[in-house]
Amino acid sequence: MPRAIRGVLIECEPAIKSILIHIDSTQLNNDAIIEDLDETHLMVKEAMVKTLQARLDDKLKETYRVEQPLDDSDDDKGM
Amino acid sequence: MSSFGPSSFMLSEYLEKLPGATFRKLYQQPSTAFAIFRRMLPHLAKVYVQALLYSPTPFTTNDLELWTRPEGKASSSRAISILRSLHIVQMTQSTRTKKGQDIQLTANFKKSLRLALEGGGSHNSFGVPSTLPVDPKIDIQYLDHWAGRIWQDILYYVVNSVPMKADETGGRRGGGRGPRTAVKELLKMGGLVREGEGGFVQISEHGFNFLLQEANAQVWTLLLLWLEAADRNKAAAREQGADITGSPIDNVEMLSFLFMLASLELGRAYDTSALTETRRNMLPALSDFGLIYIDSRNPQQYFPTRLATTLTSSSALRSVSASIDAAIKKTPGDAGSLGSTTSGGGDNAPPADENGGIVVETNYRIYAYTSSPLQIAILKLFCRLHMRFPNMVTARLTRESVREAIKEGITANQIIEYLAAHAHPQMVRAAAAKGTSVLPPTVVDQIRLWQLESQRMQKTPGFQFKDFESVEEYRQLAEYAAEIGVLVWKDDRKGTFFVSKVEQIREFLKARKKGN
Repeated sequence: MPRAIRGVLIECEPAIKSILIHIDSTQLNNDAIIEDLDETHLMVKEAMVKTLQARLDDKLKETYRVEQPLDDSDDDKGM
Repeated sequence: MSSFGPSSFMLSEYLEKLPGATFRKLYQQPSTAFAIFRRMLPHLAKVYVQALLYSPTPFTTNDLELWTRPEGKASSSRAISILRSLHIVQMTQSTRTKKGQDIQLTANFKKSLRLALEGGGSHNSFGVPSTLPVDPKIDIQYLDHWAGRIWQDILYYVVNSVPMKADETGGRRGGGRGPRTAVKELLKMGGLVREGEGGFVQISEHGFNFLLQEANAQVWTLLLLWLEAADRNKAAAREQGADITGSPIDNVEMLSFLFMLASLELGRAYDTSALTETRRNMLPALSDFGLIYIDSRNPQQYFPTRLATTLTSSSALRSVSASIDAAIKKTPGDAGSLGSTTSGGGDNAPPADENGGIVVETNYRIYAYTSSPLQIAILKLFCRLHMRFPNMVTARLTRESVREAIKEGITANQIIEYLAAHAHPQMVRAAAAKGTSVLPPTVVDQIRLWQLESQRMQKTPGFQFKDFESVEEYRQLAEYAAEIGVLVWKDDRKGTFFVSKVEQIREFLKARKKGN
């Protein structure tokens, strides 16, 4: 009989994946990722998904900045 | 998508988790069998059920396969898989042919659906109309108005928990007293709102999702929460020694009562004394939700409202406000057309044109012709509000506002659907004339792009299968998973795959083991 393992499949770009693996090994004690499946897929423990997501967002804030969209002058002052 | 949601917000998910014995009990009621048939099945599955319904002998799966072209095999398998998960059909090893299985309807479902279609039997499954005289003021319009008010109160309660400046909400509530405490408790328990600091309730991400659902789905969400909470409620009530007395509320009874309500006729009075005790105990709660109306002077009668009678129709209300609007528009003194707001936030100022006053421009600006605090609050979930006039607000979709919304669990599609569904009639007409989509394509694309930008990981909960005994075993199982539409990812080289649902794969494995 094959084995069935419960978890969450995460699909992302290879770059994001390597950040996730890095976070897992440095901050989370290798406790989040169950298996590195391929270039773009990871198996992650269900309970750890939120933590992982939060850490990723933190990490991306450090490194990733998007251009501000063009603002037109008369808007965006209200409320 | 990012809908991790608490256990079960969708009816289909809730049903799939019920054990077979529950289904057998449920299907004893013709109204339930009929409602499931009507609401839960795709067309192909209905075709199969209809064919099997009067067939004296079981079909083999090979027979069914002949009905679909080879390229339709996937949808055929999916139809059968849905029928199986709802315990409508059962499969057994065929006696006549070696390969293939016999497929037939489960006994209770077959009997009940036949009864529902042919009539007859003394099951009272479709309700017993009341023979008592009916108060003439209770007509369809009255019921619509009443149910609309109750439901809007519930939505206001969820929406008003959005942190807002005092002057925005102050004194402009829609004239209700808010929902009953029991309903508030339910919303908290279901995680649609949560208690923040200082006793203030706050909307949660599931609450956002809830608000943007269509009315029918909203009603079901609430009802399913209620079903799930019933056990806990009961225990709590017993501890306090109050409220719920008598027979334990049993999920099967509750569900089948809901399905029965859905088959009743709007605007007609039904007899409460024909109901079982469990069902009678449900009436006060259902009335809190606005699903049934009970006249306090005449408690022997109950009236299903539009919220109840559309529970299982596939052509659901586009939004609650659509039906409410219809009711409101008929009230005198309200022209009901664009911009005719019942002036200045009077106590029961109904929104003038709540369903369809939103103009979206290609520069992401939004003009919403509404004075409804509900709609404004919903817009505020994903737009930046700019100016507010007595009958209109201006707003703007920005990257930040959309990202904020997406962080709260709202999806780009929900935003787009909401805007399209509530678009100004002028936009709808213009789009129809030109044959384009209602919303400017640039805006739609940009909302999707904003979502992609903040969704760096795509998450699917489920199960990974690995360590197969043979390549053949892997291949068969992966193929089966793809056929029933649960396969998410696979790696042929490593011999492992990931599925979103596991129950049927387990069964398939068991059956396969027996077969060998």
